Formats: sequence, structure tokens, C-alpha cells
Amino acid sequence: MDMAIDTPSPAPPPTPPAPSAAAGRQTRAAEAVRLEHQLVRVPLESLRATVRSNHRLAEKEIAAVLSSASAAPAESSAAAVDHLTSLVSRLHGLKRKMEEGARVEELQVQRCRARLDRLATASTGDDAEWEDIRLKRILVDYMLRMSYYDSATKLAETSGIQELVDIDVFLDAKRVIDSLQNNEVAPALAWCAENKSRLKKSKSKLEFLLRLQEFVEFVKAKNCIQAIAYARKHLAPWGNMHMKELQRVTATLVFRSNTNCTPYKILFEQERWDYLVDIFKQDFCKLYGMTLEPLLNIYLQAGLTALKTPFCTEGSCPREDPLSLEGFRKLAEPLPFSKQHHSKLVCYITKELMDTENPPRVLPNGYVYSEKALQEMSKKNDGKITCPRTGDVCDFSECVRAFIS
Amino acid sequence: MEIDSLREGFDRVAEKRSLSSAKALEAVDQIVNEVEQAIVKLQMMNTDSTGNVDHPSILAELKSKLNEMAPLNQLEGSQKELNGALSKYLKVLEKSFNPDISKAYRNVDFEVHTVNNIIANHFYRQGLFDLGDMFARECGELGGTSLKLPFQEMYAILEAMKARNLEPALSWAAKNHDQLLQNGSMLEFKLYQLQFVEILSKGSRGEGKDEALLYARTHLVPFAAVHKEEFQKLMACLLWVGRLDQSPYSELMSSAHWEKLAEELTHQFCSLLGQSRESPLSVAVSAGFQGLPTLLKLTQVMAAKKQEWQVMKQLPVPIDIGPEFQYHSVFVCPVLREQSSDENPPMRMPCGHVVSKQSIMKLSKSSSRPFKCPYCPSEAVASHCKQLHF
Ligand SMILES: [Zn+2]
Repeated sequence: MDMAIDTPSPAPPPTPPAPSAAAGRQTRAAEAVRLEHQLVRVPLESLRATVRSNHRLAEKEIAAVLSSASAAPAESSAAAVDHLTSLVSRLHGLKRKMEEGARVEELQVQRCRARLDRLATASTGDDAEWEDIRLKRILVDYMLRMSYYDSATKLAETSGIQELVDIDVFLDAKRVIDSLQNNEVAPALAWCAENKSRLKKSKSKLEFLLRLQEFVEFVKAKNCIQAIAYARKHLAPWGNMHMKELQRVTATLVFRSNTNCTPYKILFEQERWDYLVDIFKQDFCKLYGMTLEPLLNIYLQAGLTALKTPFCTEGSCPREDPLSLEGFRKLAEPLPFSKQHHSKLVCYITKELMDTENPPRVLPNGYVYSEKALQEMSKKNDGKITCPRTGDVCDFSECVRAFIS
Repeated sequence: MEIDSLREGFDRVAEKRSLSSAKALEAVDQIVNEVEQAIVKLQMMNTDSTGNVDHPSILAELKSKLNEMAPLNQLEGSQKELNGALSKYLKVLEKSFNPDISKAYRNVDFEVHTVNNIIANHFYRQGLFDLGDMFARECGELGGTSLKLPFQEMYAILEAMKARNLEPALSWAAKNHDQLLQNGSMLEFKLYQLQFVEILSKGSRGEGKDEALLYARTHLVPFAAVHKEEFQKLMACLLWVGRLDQSPYSELMSSAHWEKLAEELTHQFCSLLGQSRESPLSVAVSAGFQGLPTLLKLTQVMAAKKQEWQVMKQLPVPIDIGPEFQYHSVFVCPVLREQSSDENPPMRMPCGHVVSKQSIMKLSKSSSRPFKCPYCPSEAVASHCKQLHF
């Protein structure tokens, strides 16, 4: 950006015109909306899952009814009437369930729409309220991933953003996580069964690992016969895919749970369950089209990278810069510094950008301030300027222009 | 982004969904219908007392009707259409959005308790005290520095102002008189002015005038010299006690003054606390939304050098974020294309153009002979170039 306006003749080489500030802001805002994949994807995945399970239920029940109808007892018409009547009430039961399922689907459709509507009203860069709600959504996401469910619910309710966050989705995950933490695999296995084909497509190891864990638990309980039977039934089918791990685990049969042999020892440890929780969380996020990291961490990292300059750690770092704070500095420590290709000068007094509208002026002592700031100071003090950093006093007329390209 | 095309895509999904749902229910109804008809036929046969000979044929008829209806095929068909609409819509989503925003993520773990402390203080700053407490309890982050107490004081003052009670604000301003003055803030005077206007607009003509006069003497007179114009205007208002709304000064009663003053108070309160005006968490996340698109593009370009991305000390390209996030002056020497530093500071040549010290040494070949400015025809000598401090 060229900041000269009344350059000494002849004029400096022309620089391409800078895009207007407003246009830049709008482009940035539009780009920011393109980051909101998770917002629209998660409710769609919920809808898909509900549709699938409703469909499966209807299919299963109807198939059962059909085969039952063709197997109606033929001995007496009374028996046939009884049989068919029971089928009718079974069908009524199915219909009730299907209607209930359809209502859930409709709510989820509504939620998908609410998310699109939200994005349609997206901030063009200066809508503080829209951005505040966006931050709240991201905080709810963070809390849910960290299992701070009460805070997440309260934040969503008090800000009226229930349609924009996925509490119910995470509560579903919570059931499974809780059970794994209680060393139970059944709910996790049920979840795997529900999502079998999609987990297979993403090459998930979760079910295999859960089966292994069940096997290890039998070994721990010194229940060798059952362990072997279990392995035949549930582990053998995974042989092709995970041969090495399978061999390692079945070898535990010989070692028992008090082994000190490292590769086997870890299989018996309580931490294995934490590992299973982690694997479950990863697969869960993948399935719903969520990022593996909390959104907050992703945006904070990007933001701190953009804000990080070598000047942030100096004592003069203004307090408006988040990196003037200890906590943010700590978070930014492992991140790279941002880079500038062009000079950007901020007036020490007004904190405003110095540009062609408000060009920099140099005091005789070499300190630079914006013209606006110096004009204001000189108006108040009969043309005198006091350098706020050195205390030197000079005349406004002594302050010269500096041309920065 | 084309929100409309997203909406269209989703409308198709929604339409196919309700169609599929309706079809499934219809199929169940049809089955019920057929079965019930069969039941009626069976029962009629009983009452006709023609014997049981024919009931197997009724059952056979039911079976063939159900076969013909093929409800499972119906279900399958509409489900397929729904799945088609769904996968089309998913493709639109992938195209319209950045499907994986974690691609630019550096694999470093944020210290959880640092993040949690930042969040708790964010809530306190926003005046969400219950939420802040609940969050701190739930994540077990009760030890860290807390902004709860100071911000509780601030929100109590603001709440009182909303109820048109200026007392807490005035007593805070009086307590911090010197510092406010140092900040060049007129907050204290403006608060007294607001209170004065309240008295004028509420009071009846007789009593109100005395009260207002007394108030002006005790509270406004000390500011008379500094804010001469405003003071005189306020004194003129005394003529309009009880009917200020009909006076030329009715503008003083506008509620906008209350809002502006609440804003100024928030600003000064944060400043005296040594806190920023905006929540630093909001600032950092907003900067993240602006900066992430550039970072994602960069990782795409650098895809082959993934390792480098994880360890580089400075980004190779600038990130385009708004000027509101520019807190530090950065001088990039236009000749060397390098950021200035203590060793290589910016220097102003007598013509006014600024380059780095190293550039000047290069241009002058470290001699005292004059050299030409690269940006204009003027000549300069190194000893006449002056170091700048931004
Ligand atoms: Zn020049």
C-alpha cells in the first residue's frame, strides 16, 4: 500500500489500487462461511441415520408380517381369524412406531433448514451479534467434546441456540462413552452394528478392538475355554484384516493378566478402555462429518497464528491484542509467526491504521504518529506537540511526512 | 456461496423423505386393509354356517394379494429415491464448503486448563456469571485468575443505569476521578450532566428548580472551567424546569445519551482494570475465521511438504485479516522486502521516502557520497537519513 499523497515531484511509481476495505471485509466474511461445513453436515447425518433405522424397522416388521400371514393356521377358520387379528394389531403397533419415527425425521429436517437459514443471514463482517452467536456455537461444541454437558446445555438454552448445536448427537455418544468407561462393550457394539456398512467403508477398527477387549476380559478372568470359544466366533472373522494384532492378543492366553512382558502387559491394563473411548470418539466424529479436534481449538490456532508477531511479547504490546495476555501467549507458543509483505503502520496514540487518509508524520526525534493524532494534539496545545514516548516537545509545523510504500 | 442452491438441494431431500414416509405408511395401511378384508370373509363364512371348507382358499387369496402388492418393493423404491437426493445434496455440500477445516491444524495440544480459564473469564466478561461458575465447576477450573468480581461490579453499575439509577456509576467515577482525567475521559462530568437533566425533566417548576440549582452548584460547578460550553448550556436549561421536553434542549433527554454513556463506562472500566475492551477470546476466534481460509489454501499448496508445515517458524505468506486485528506497526523495507528489526531499522531519507538501514548502506555503498532515492529523483547522503520509531 502506498501512503504518499503529496509526494515531492515527480510522483513515485504507481502502485496497484488497494481493494476497498469494505470489499475485503465481504470477501473474508464469505470465505468464513465456507468453513461451516460441520454446521450443516451433522444434522443431515442425524437425519440420514434416523431415516435408515426407521426404514429398517418398517422393512423388518413388514417382512415378518408377510411371512406370518402366509403361515396362518389352516385347521379352523376361528384360529385363522385369531391369527390374522393379532397381525392387524401388530401392524397398528408398527404404524404407531413409524409415525413416531416420521415425527423425529421432521424435526431433524427442520433443524437442517434452521442451519441453512442461519448461514443465509451470515455476517458480512461487521455484525457483532452474529459473530457472538457463532462463538457460542463453537463453545458449545468444545464443551460437548470435553464432556461438560451441563454447561453446554445451559449455554445453548440461555442463548436460544438449541437448533444450532448438536447436544442430542453428543448425548448419544455419551451413552457409549460412559459404558466404555464402566468397562462395558455392549452399547458400543450395538452402535457399531447400527452403522456397520459405513464403518466398514471408512475401515474402522472399532468393532475389532471391542471384540479383542471382550476376549482379553475372559483371559483376565482366567476363563480360557470361554475365551477360546469367543475368539473362534468373534475374532476369527477379522483374521484377514488384522492378523498381527489378532496373534498378539490370542498369545495372551499363555501369559495371563499378571504378565510383565510389555507387548502383552498393556493389553491387560485399564488404560486400554481409555484407548477404546478415543477410538470410538474418532469414528463417531468421522461418521457425522465432524472435525476430530474441537472447533474452538482449530479457530483459536488459526487466529493466534494470524495474530502472532515478534512484537507481541514486548512490554508495549497493547492490551487489545489477545497475545498481550499470558494465557494466549502460552497457547501461541508452538505456533508460527505471521508474515507481512507490506508495511502496516499503527498509530501509537490512536491505534488506528496510518494510510493515505491518515498519513504518518515524523517528529524531529524520529518518532512517528498519525496526522490525525498530531492535529488534535496541536489544536489543544496551541500548535505544540509532546511526544508521548519521550516527552520531547516540538512544533506541529516541524513534523514532516514519511512516504512508505 | 449459493445458499439458494443448497436450499434447493435440501428441499429435494425433504420432499423425497416425506414421500417415502407417506408411502411406507400407505403400504402398511394396504396390508391392514387386505388382512381385515380376509378376516371379514372368514367371519362371514362362519355365520353363513356353510362349514369351514373354504377358509384355506381365503387365506391363499390373501397371500397372493399381498404378494402382488409387494410392499417391500414399494418401500425399497421410495427409499432409493430418497438416498439419491441425499447423496446429490451431500455432493453439493462438499463443493460449497471446505469439507475439512482441520487440514491446517498443527498437531500441538492446547493446555486444557489454560483454555478453560480463558473460557470462564470470557463468560464473566460477558456478564454471564452463573454460566461462568457452572463451567468452572464442571471443568474443575476454580483456581486460576478470575475476572468475576471486577466484572460483577461493572455489570451492577450498568444494571443500575438501565433502571435510570446513576448512583453506583457516579460513585465509581468519583473514586477513579484522577485516572479518568488522565485517560482524557469526560465520563464523570457526563454522568453529572445526565443526573442534572433527570432532575430537570422530572421536577415540578418550583421545587425542581431549587433541587437542580443545588445539584448544579455542588456537582457541575467544579467542571465549569474545563467544559465551559456544556456548562453554560446546562445552566440555560434551568429556565425550562419541568418542561425540558418543550425546550430547545430537549435533545439532552434522548435515551441515546444513556446508551452512549453505558458504552463509555464499559470502555473506561475495562481500561482501568487493565483489560481490553473486546473479549480476547472473541477477538482470537474472529481472527481465526478470517485467517483460516488462507491457511487452508497454504496447506493445499504445501501438501507435498507436510512435515515443514508442522515445524515452520514463520508463515511463508501473509494472512489476509481485517485492519481491526492490526495491533503492531510492521515496516517492510520495499527494497529488501524484509521486515525491519532492531539491527535493520527503518530510515527516512530527506525526500521523505523510507527504506531500511541495510538498503541505505547498499545504495550508498557505505560511503559518504550522495546516492539517488530509488523512488524519486532526489539525492541523499547516508548521514542525513534519520531512523524512525513507529
Ligand atoms: Zn525519495
